[in-house]
Amino acid sequence: MPSPPAAVLGQNRARRAAIVDELRRRLPRMESAAAATRALPFGLATLDAHLPQGGLTVGALHEIAPQTPADTPAAFGFLAALLARFVPPSRPLLLVATSRAFADHGRPHGHGLSRLGFDPARLILVETKAEKQALWAMEEALRSAVPAAVAGMIARLDLKSSQRLHLAAGAAGLPLVLLRPAQAGEASAAATRWRVGAAEAARDRFGLITRAGWKVTLERCRNGRPGEWLVEFDHAAYRFSLAAPLADPALSRHPGLFGRRAG
Amino acid sequence: MSGTPCIAALNAAAEAEGIKIGETIADARAKAESLQVRAADPAADDAALRRLALWATRYTPAASPWDEKNGADGFFLDVTGASHLFGGEEKLLADLGERLARFGLPARGAAAETAGAAWALARFHVSPVILAAGQESEALSRLPIEALRLSPETRRTLRRLGFRRIGALIDQPRAPFAARFERELLLRIDQALGRAPEPLAFIVSPPLYHSLRYLMEPVAAQEAVVAIARRLMQDIVHALVRDGVGARTLRLALYRVDGGVRSVDIGLTRPTRSVPHVARLIELKLERMGETIDAGFGFETLGLAVTTAERMEGGQTELMAGLEEAGEQPDERCAELIDGLTQRLGPRSVQRLAPLASHLPERAEAAFIATDEVPAWPAPNESQPRPLLLFARAEPAEVTALVPEGPPRRFRWRGVTHGIAKAQGPERIAGEWWHEGASPPTRDYYLVEDEAGHRFWLYREGLYGRETASPRWFVHGLFA
Repeated sequence: MPSPPAAVLGQNRARRAAIVDELRRRLPRMESAAAATRALPFGLATLDAHLPQGGLTVGALHEIAPQTPADTPAAFGFLAALLARFVPPSRPLLLVATSRAFADHGRPHGHGLSRLGFDPARLILVETKAEKQALWAMEEALRSAVPAAVAGMIARLDLKSSQRLHLAAGAAGLPLVLLRPAQAGEASAAATRWRVGAAEAARDRFGLITRAGWKVTLERCRNGRPGEWLVEFDHAAYRFSLAAPLADPALSRHPGLFGRRAG
Repeated sequence: MSGTPCIAALNAAAEAEGIKIGETIADARAKAESLQVRAADPAADDAALRRLALWATRYTPAASPWDEKNGADGFFLDVTGASHLFGGEEKLLADLGERLARFGLPARGAAAETAGAAWALARFHVSPVILAAGQESEALSRLPIEALRLSPETRRTLRRLGFRRIGALIDQPRAPFAARFERELLLRIDQALGRAPEPLAFIVSPPLYHSLRYLMEPVAAQEAVVAIARRLMQDIVHALVRDGVGARTLRLALYRVDGGVRSVDIGLTRPTRSVPHVARLIELKLERMGETIDAGFGFETLGLAVTTAERMEGGQTELMAGLEEAGEQPDERCAELIDGLTQRLGPRSVQRLAPLASHLPERAEAAFIATDEVPAWPAPNESQPRPLLLFARAEPAEVTALVPEGPPRRFRWRGVTHGIAKAQGPERIAGEWWHEGASPPTRDYYLVEDEAGHRFWLYREGLYGRETASPRWFVHGLFA
């Protein structure tokens, strides 16, 4: 923080009061700066520009929902690829879900996770009977500040619970990413809400998939702007990329998708 | 006598009528017309005795119910180091007798240096007695030979030979007895006099470290139980630090006012001496147990025992609660988080994934109960696509293909029909025929993408023409 020049301090009392006020205004921001306001960029300039600090706020609650129930694997893939980016890599990543959610959507498969850059060795799976316990487990994990990030599959979440989780994430300086069902639309304290749909994968000239494709919509973003992108995940380089607009046949199938991209 | 029902046990009223154990029921009925008879149930007696011995661990964890040879109607307590909590052995014995009487169990007790002497005095001494060390020989001399816990044959032989009192046996030369009787006689004398050790089978293996609290007022509230458990752990920590060990498993025993005992077992991922951590785990476990714990009229005694202790790298003592956060290692905090979640959510709820060497996708990894150990994963094999989400059981799908052995064109799964835009495969995975039992048929896996861009992992089970005439299709997983 830049200290006020000495000459200014030496002037009259009115100026001094103004400086004290200025310091008072800055202080709370500095105190919470370290934890809550760290952000993790996607590494995609057009996307990061929409987010308040040029990336996903670390100490906050984020929600990801599929466009339709059938897009749940795509949304989960986006979540896994996102989660894997949270550092330090020595810290575990917690995934909390009910037994019901695992039965409906399948269980995370280590050999599949590693293709999204998610080291399965980092994963700690927490399986609960009821969602109430899942909410408790996520809060407990955040409080412990042990994992690098916490994720959960949660079908029902009222505003009060989401505020509670958002506060816990902020206090711990850790990200909490929730996978919500397609129909979820309740009011929530989440800093961002994403909607993810499956898109045609990029293939090499032999017809083998090289990059999974997702239609990613930033529906809501506190202090940011909504947007829509066609995001790919590079299986070789383990990073996000934007689908090349002209080379990608997916574009012809989704006209107007990039209309809001400049946004 | 065989086949004729006999008296196995009787109450005070029947005793007053002059009925004796071992009499036939017909004889007993002749003495008391209103005699009521119930069939003996040795199994239930044994269970009741074990329950009582468990309750008695509120005095000392070393409680041993009497087996058949001891009459199966009482228990030993090793009160070494426990009697001072009651202000001496007399007070402990009085307290024990009083509580048993309150349960409706008139009891006789005695304390002595050896289990054999205590047994003899409890049975054959008129009033409760505390025998000082070294007086066994003198005290036992006056008792009948039945006080030696001998088999009926040995007893009869001794009676025939004219031995009435133990004193007559103690001073006899050993050689003739050793020749005439089984080892039993000399062994019992030696055990009673403390010349030979007597191993006792304890109802719970006595823990290395334990601490007990007797409460003036019984407690039932969870917070109160946790608060006392915290103090018990504080008592134990000093001994743990002294020995350089930490607790891996703990048992909190809750003694109800009515004699019932509830126990709460806590397992830890790594040894700990942290009082707040143990207290927190107990709290979480109690929350999970909820109603099943049933405090009844409350718990009057609480005992905490370290049932497994493990060496702990020195240095970190958690005696100073305030400094704890700073001193802890990340691994340790991870273990604490896993412990906390496990206690609250159940034993198999916190897991990690480890890779296994198997071609079959469902056997290519295993979920194991999370510890602080991190499994090593190989880099992904790019030529073998694997789904992000795998179903525990592959789900059947109706598939249309142009040719039976060709790629799928369209499939119906969970009530929705998907037209396939692109299919990648097949990747052939043979059944593991070297495993026991019938080997599963060969599978051909396809990574298919439907028209909306959803990616599925389908397989055809059975080779068309060779293994089956109508292959079946399954959805095994979903790609991102």
